Amino acid sequence: MSSTRQTPSDFLKQIIHRPVVVKLNSGVDYRGVLVCLDGFMNIVLDQTEEYINGQLKAKYGIAFLRGNNVLYISAQKRKA
Amino acid sequence: CLKVMESASRQQALASLASIEEPMDLIRVSLDEIVHVKMRNERELRGRLHAFDSHLNMVLGDVEETVTTLEIDEETYEEVYKATKRTVPMLFVRGDGVILVSPIGSSQAA
Repeated sequence: MSSTRQTPSDFLKQIIHRPVVVKLNSGVDYRGVLVCLDGFMNIVLDQTEEYINGQLKAKYGIAFLRGNNVLYISAQKRKA
Repeated sequence: CLKVMESASRQQALASLASIEEPMDLIRVSLDEIVHVKMRNERELRGRLHAFDSHLNMVLGDVEETVTTLEIDEETYEEVYKATKRTVPMLFVRGDGVILVSPIGSSQAA
């Protein structure tokens, strides 16, 4: 748990290779392991699952998400 | 636990994962592969990726487009999802409509 100040890019470096939830502006949820991302918030997830209205709708092995659609990226807090 | 049949394509996918440093690398690795593209307005495309740029403008070949609409029966007020498909031999896709791109062969569900 980090109590010191960190910038968003520090956070993004920390959560690589962790399971994350990516929510899009449209409300669709994608859960998967974060492979990489860039300054546009383009995201690559591995073992991606797509949830619409809380229901699992599709699975993609590896998925690229275009950054302009991304609302947030969330990672579960976990002690190292 | 992976099934033996899936493990070969999964190994291929993992090998390409190792070479990916930034998101655009995934698109680069998918060139000449069949990709699944999810777009705005409930549209999905499946075709071979021939070209792309940083806007995610893409050229897809032998592509099948699926448009999903929600139709409501006027009498029963029943909600029915209708999928309309068409095939296009060569298609230019404007990048701002793209939501998701996934190489097929790495996915587990059809």
